[in-house]
Amino acid sequence: MTLPAMQYDRRETTAWITRPILVMAVVFATLPLWIETVGLYQYLGVEVLIWIVFALGFNLLLGYTGLPSFGHGAFFGIGAYAFGLAQFEVWANLWFCLAAAIVVTGAFGAVTALFLAHRRGIYFALMSIAFGQIFYFIASKWTDVTKGEDGLLNIARLPADFGVAEVSIQSNTALYYFCYAVMMVLIVLLWRLTNSPFGRTLRAIKQNETRVAFIGYPVRLYKWAAFTLSCGIAGLAGGLFAMAQEGAYINIMSLQWSGTIVLIVLIGGGFVSFWGPVLGVILYFVARDILGAYTEAWLLWFGLMFVVLVMFKPDGIAGMWRGWVAPRLRGRGATTPAPRPAESRS
Amino acid sequence: MLYDLIPHIINGLALGLLFALLALGFMLIIGVMEVINLAHGSLFALGAYVALAVMVPDGGLPYAFMEPYYALPDVPRYVIALIVGPLVVAVVGAGLELCLRRTYGQDPLYGLLLTFGAALVLEEGIREIWGSSEYYLPIPRGISGGFIAGDLIYSTYRIYAAIFAAAMIGLLWLFLNRTPYGAIIKAGAHDGEMVRALGHNLSRLRLFVFAFGAALAAIAGIIMAPIWGIRPVVGVDAVVPAFVVIVLGGVGSFWGAVSAGLLVGLVVGLTAAFATDWSLLSMYLLLLAVVTFRSRGLAGKASVLES
Repeated sequence: MTLPAMQYDRRETTAWITRPILVMAVVFATLPLWIETVGLYQYLGVEVLIWIVFALGFNLLLGYTGLPSFGHGAFFGIGAYAFGLAQFEVWANLWFCLAAAIVVTGAFGAVTALFLAHRRGIYFALMSIAFGQIFYFIASKWTDVTKGEDGLLNIARLPADFGVAEVSIQSNTALYYFCYAVMMVLIVLLWRLTNSPFGRTLRAIKQNETRVAFIGYPVRLYKWAAFTLSCGIAGLAGGLFAMAQEGAYINIMSLQWSGTIVLIVLIGGGFVSFWGPVLGVILYFVARDILGAYTEAWLLWFGLMFVVLVMFKPDGIAGMWRGWVAPRLRGRGATTPAPRPAESRS
Repeated sequence: MLYDLIPHIINGLALGLLFALLALGFMLIIGVMEVINLAHGSLFALGAYVALAVMVPDGGLPYAFMEPYYALPDVPRYVIALIVGPLVVAVVGAGLELCLRRTYGQDPLYGLLLTFGAALVLEEGIREIWGSSEYYLPIPRGISGGFIAGDLIYSTYRIYAAIFAAAMIGLLWLFLNRTPYGAIIKAGAHDGEMVRALGHNLSRLRLFVFAFGAALAAIAGIIMAPIWGIRPVVGVDAVVPAFVVIVLGGVGSFWGAVSAGLLVGLVVGLTAAFATDWSLLSMYLLLLAVVTFRSRGLAGKASVLES
């Protein structure tokens, strides 16, 4: 009755920069050069990067700690509103506003986590839905601050101030590279974090929370920290998204968006791989732009794909890669395939 | 003061009985399959939409050839809606159960994720057929409107809803406690393997119970539709009270669910009396309060929810 485990080679887990990180760096550094030749557009790149940030943060909960949060879109939205309000009301400085988005969202997350940290499974899931809906309700009714259904308009793409020079990130390409830098830093930090003793404890909690508690770890504190951290990252993504959209809107806090991030991370293979969320985001946006060109109901098909994956291959794309592609690439016996949930069926 | 509240208390009781009906279906599914059906609210919404299509010509389905049917008076159409809605939803529920089979015996998170995905798929499907706008289910003239007693105005429909839900709950109790099928379902909730060992087809029992639970959700949805309105997102607002009722009343307790349903309905109904906008919010706050302080329910027993 356990979830599949994250398994990595020791050479990888002790390094700061691994091969997949390099691949990510190269692919996304060159993306603006070729994205238009494959028939897509620059802004899509920005969206993909922001969602990767959001999804990686979310996977700290779902994939690493095994906590299904169905209300995470609310924190993405809080980040967006915090970014906009900090810009309008306090100080229109990029670093300050991003920091505000992270800290404010982290604080909301920390308080929420007080209620959630000692929950698991179904209670955790429904409590997260409840908190997501409460934040959504408040944001939609508290029109003095959030402007309700209209949303916060005219959020500026603030210039990045490096002390000696100011770089404008007004154009989509410039904003893309800014988000790229943020994402790469975050990836390296998260890679170290997830392979630190802290990250390993989270993975152990996912496998067997009771046993980890018996060993003597303060399980609730770890879950609280993971939730808070994940919310802070969601806030960062929300702040970037407010800049990308040049506004903060209520719909990103709705349960539908909270559900979308769950779909994305699981389809990508967040249960078994650090890179699952990245694969999921790419698949989601490619599906949105390709399926979306043919049918309005593409999210319906994406949802059906999710249901089929949960039934037959909950390891997602990353699991398929590990099971079928990677062994063939590296030759026999080079990797141990991740244990499939089927083996633990009682 | 208290006297003025009587209509709101009646509204709350109607709401509570509907919540109880919804929750009893939810509980049957938890009992026999040990699955938390997060799509239960979407099945509730789907029931309302199907009833809408049966009731009005522009209810989303372009059935020009059914014009003579829509010329029928509203009472027979309403009765047909009350039969067709639950049947359609029962079929959908049975389909969902077939999908869920692959998650039995695995980590409960998979069942949760699957039903959550199913909820989103149902919601998107509803959007696809009926659009995102809000509908109101028309009701026969006999049960609409209001009447004055003393110097207070009562809504006829709410009283009808309360009586209808109470009658359904009574029938359900008779079904579970006075028929051999009810005995098998209760036995299945107690120990599925033993039921199988006694020669009953457990797979078929699960299929039937899921479909039955879904049909109960649809009935609650149809009766609730004129009160809440019909929107694609109404599903989430319905699954939460069902869950609160189950936690408060305790899994497996029929009358626990009914009394908890009445309690939740009264809280939501009375909030609506003072702050209409916030009545749905009160439900979520109630969930937080209940799970935080009383996650073992009023009876204080441990349940399968904690696995």
